[in-house]
Amino acid sequence: MNVQQGSEMVNAARRRRPLRWRYRLARLPVWLMVLGATAGMPALAAGDADLGEEIYTQRCMLCHGEEGDGMGPAAERLNPPPRDFTMAQYKIRTTRVDEIAPADADLVRMIHDGMPGTAMPGWSDVLSDADIQDLTAFLKTLAGLEEEAPGQVIDYGTQVPVSPESIAQGRELFHEDDRCSECHGQAGKGDAVKKLKDDSGYRTWPRNLTKPWTFRGSNDPRDIFARITTGIAGTQMPSFDDPDSEGRLSIEQRWHLANYVNSLEKTEKVVRPENTVIRALRLPGAVPTEPDDPLWQQALPSTFMLVPQLIAGERFFTPANDTITIRAMYSEEEIGFHLEWDDRTRSIPGEEAAEKIADPGISEDRVAIQLPVALTAGAEKPYFLHGDSRHPVNLWFWRSGSAERPAGVSLVTARGIADRDTRDAAEAGLTGKGSYQDGSWQVVLRRPLMTADLSQDLEFHEGTFIPVAFSVWDGSNSESDSAHTLTTWYWLLLKPPPGNAPWLFAGLAFVLMLLGEVWWARTAQRRQRS
Amino acid sequence: MTYQRLRVPRLAQLVLVIGGTYGGFWLIFDLWLGQPIPRSLMGMYMFFVVVGVLMVFTATEKSTGQLVGPIRALVEDPARRWLRNVVFTVVPALAALGVYLQMQPSDEPPLELRSIHPAPPSSVKIFGKRYDLMSLENPYRHLEKDDPEQFRELVAAGGEVYIRNCQYCHGDKLDGKGPYAQGLNPVPLNFQDIGTIAQLQESFLFWRIATGGPGLPKEATPWISSMPVWEDFLSEEQIWQVILYLYDYTGHRPRSWGHE
Ligand code: HEC
Ligand code: HEC
Ligand code: HEC
Repeated sequence: MNVQQGSEMVNAARRRRPLRWRYRLARLPVWLMVLGATAGMPALAAGDADLGEEIYTQRCMLCHGEEGDGMGPAAERLNPPPRDFTMAQYKIRTTRVDEIAPADADLVRMIHDGMPGTAMPGWSDVLSDADIQDLTAFLKTLAGLEEEAPGQVIDYGTQVPVSPESIAQGRELFHEDDRCSECHGQAGKGDAVKKLKDDSGYRTWPRNLTKPWTFRGSNDPRDIFARITTGIAGTQMPSFDDPDSEGRLSIEQRWHLANYVNSLEKTEKVVRPENTVIRALRLPGAVPTEPDDPLWQQALPSTFMLVPQLIAGERFFTPANDTITIRAMYSEEEIGFHLEWDDRTRSIPGEEAAEKIADPGISEDRVAIQLPVALTAGAEKPYFLHGDSRHPVNLWFWRSGSAERPAGVSLVTARGIADRDTRDAAEAGLTGKGSYQDGSWQVVLRRPLMTADLSQDLEFHEGTFIPVAFSVWDGSNSESDSAHTLTTWYWLLLKPPPGNAPWLFAGLAFVLMLLGEVWWARTAQRRQRS
Repeated sequence: MTYQRLRVPRLAQLVLVIGGTYGGFWLIFDLWLGQPIPRSLMGMYMFFVVVGVLMVFTATEKSTGQLVGPIRALVEDPARRWLRNVVFTVVPALAALGVYLQMQPSDEPPLELRSIHPAPPSSVKIFGKRYDLMSLENPYRHLEKDDPEQFRELVAAGGEVYIRNCQYCHGDKLDGKGPYAQGLNPVPLNFQDIGTIAQLQESFLFWRIATGGPGLPKEATPWISSMPVWEDFLSEEQIWQVILYLYDYTGHRPRSWGHE
């Protein structure tokens, strides 16, 4: 569906690349419909609610519930939970706030494309357009909207094209009186200053606007304009076109805002499934110790998806963090990892501001780098989830600290999620530092390349592919112990500089081949002459 | 006269066949499917293709002659000296480039091939009991004919198990595209595909679900499979129910030993 999903390959080594144009094309018909509806055309034939109910029972009921109230058996394990259709509240709609009913095209679109960043998939690959019409008709009966005329679509005015000026104006509006930054944060990462709940009491998080692939709608300015105009029903995201509100903005202002939000995308945080190797950069000097040292930006970033630990022990289903971005560099003596992940909350137990927005039972934010204790000769690796009894892993921890103890590092040898020994980090030479700003943690962890005891720690050698994995804990999201997010195994490569050897051997190959040819031509001609 | 007929075609054919095969691979896997074949594997395929094609092209003396004729003419014919000199510098230059590129430190990670459907053990211990996988059957399967109503209930119960436990990875459309699928390697299997459960017996699924990734034999790389050990979370009945659901939703039929 979007960059976050999609791959059916079974080979362990390769995955599908995001085919953006294909995804755009797939969306085209829906766009046309949306446009059609916007223009007031009767673009959609009414579906058959009875047929829709049948499809609903087969495909949707397990999440959205038998009664359509969103209380399917998995509801408490999904965040956001499935929509309660009896409330007539739809997040992505193009009809005015004072209208009860959404446009049919809105529902059609959500069913067709799904909602990125949630469990709601797009159905266009298994349901026909007619099926989706029928479903739409049925969903409206659940909310008692079947008799309701379609709502009036919002006024888009004339679209302000994207330009540096428009973006600058949007930025100003965004920050003016903390209009949007109050919830979405100074950098737009959704770092919370207050605790938000939706109408049903579920915890919600303001969207991270630098990751538009998690938008339920899309990052198209036209779509963002519609969200700002209608708000997001059932959540704290307000409408900025509400006639009853003082915060009402003009059409032009909303276009500037839309253009600004559209400009916030951080492309280095897109997960590229084909990228499985972290390439450590060799430095002439020392590895920087500060997380915000600009030198780090020279290393290639690799972004990996964080998967909740729903595999073993005490399982965890409702993560708050979604990706982690890794950079690595090494010097003659040392290797350093730079870990960056968006986390809406800086979790410092005992600190008042942190406690206020945290879910009950706050603990420290943590991150861990996982490395095998020893490399095996064959393809075998430790079990990706914190190792196993025969193949232990080392976890290099960094934690955010609490009111009582400062932030710091620790070193743990693990043989599975339940078997951990804490070791002396200082003895192994592990050091680290973290900093939190505007909704992102940046943490640096460093260690000497060599080790005193090969039976306890891995050494880093150029040219060797070393398995590496990561785990993250968001202490404000009730994440501690086995409740956390993690990545599968990826590779770390200290890429040696190529040196002179390739030139040398290439020259040698050239000369040898040329000599061979000359000899061949000579003998052939001699043979001919004789 | 013969010279006329010999001009390039045979050699060009050879180049075309080899180049076409390579291009075909590229077109299908890289461009169309978007799943490039790893370079090392591709090298292996192409080696066999080249050897095979050479064998065909040099099968008879005549065809060998047709193939080497133009080359020999190039080397020996004084009239083509100029062309020869060009070819004789370009070929080593290309070889040198090849060596140069080959010797660059590689970014390509080691290939991890795994057997997706390894041979199951003949018997396994699950829930503290021994199961003989050769004769094990889904205890509810017969209800499909004998008591369709109860069967539907069991399928529905399996659906609940699935949506609460499996959809995160295998997807609620059972297509292997759950919300977290992309973060896992190997990716969760696609049950809609005819290459997975449609090929398998229910006893195989029972074994795979109960013992998960860690229960796999070595050739199936148990250390990277994220498939959980469901014996720890589900009852025996629930596992059989979720198996009913997998077949019911996808419309596939389980393989069976006997004749029906
Ligand atoms: C795996 C569970 C799951 C299944 C199956 C599922 N949905 Fe959803 N659906 C969700 C979730 C979760 C949301 C809420 C997303 C959010 O709030 O951001 C949602 C939201 C929706 C919305 C609301 C759109 C909006 O603008 O607010 C519609 C409409 C919808 N689903 C229709 C369907 C239909 C029709 C089907 C069956 C073809 C279906 N869903 C199947 C999980 C599911
Ligand atoms: C009171 C808090 C609050 C304020 C103020 C606020 N938002 Fe939001 N916003 C939210 C929440 C919460 C969500 C996520 C809703 C959900 O759960 O789907 C959101 C979601 C969004 C989205 C995502 C739309 C999508 O398709 O997923 C955009 C874009 C957005 N807001 C833009 C803005 C802009 C621009 C402003 C200022 C004009 C603003 N917001 C002001 C709370 C707020
Ligand atoms: C954390 C992700 C995850 C969850 C949750 C999960 N699986 Fe899997 N499953 C996988 C992966 C990855 C594979 C493929 C690798 C392998 O063969 O072990 C797989 C393989 C399978 C297979 C083997 C299919 C075949 O063709 O050999 C079956 C059957 C299966 N899963 C069923 C289930 C069921 C039933 C559930 C829920 C009770 C479930 N899975 C939950 C990740 C998951």
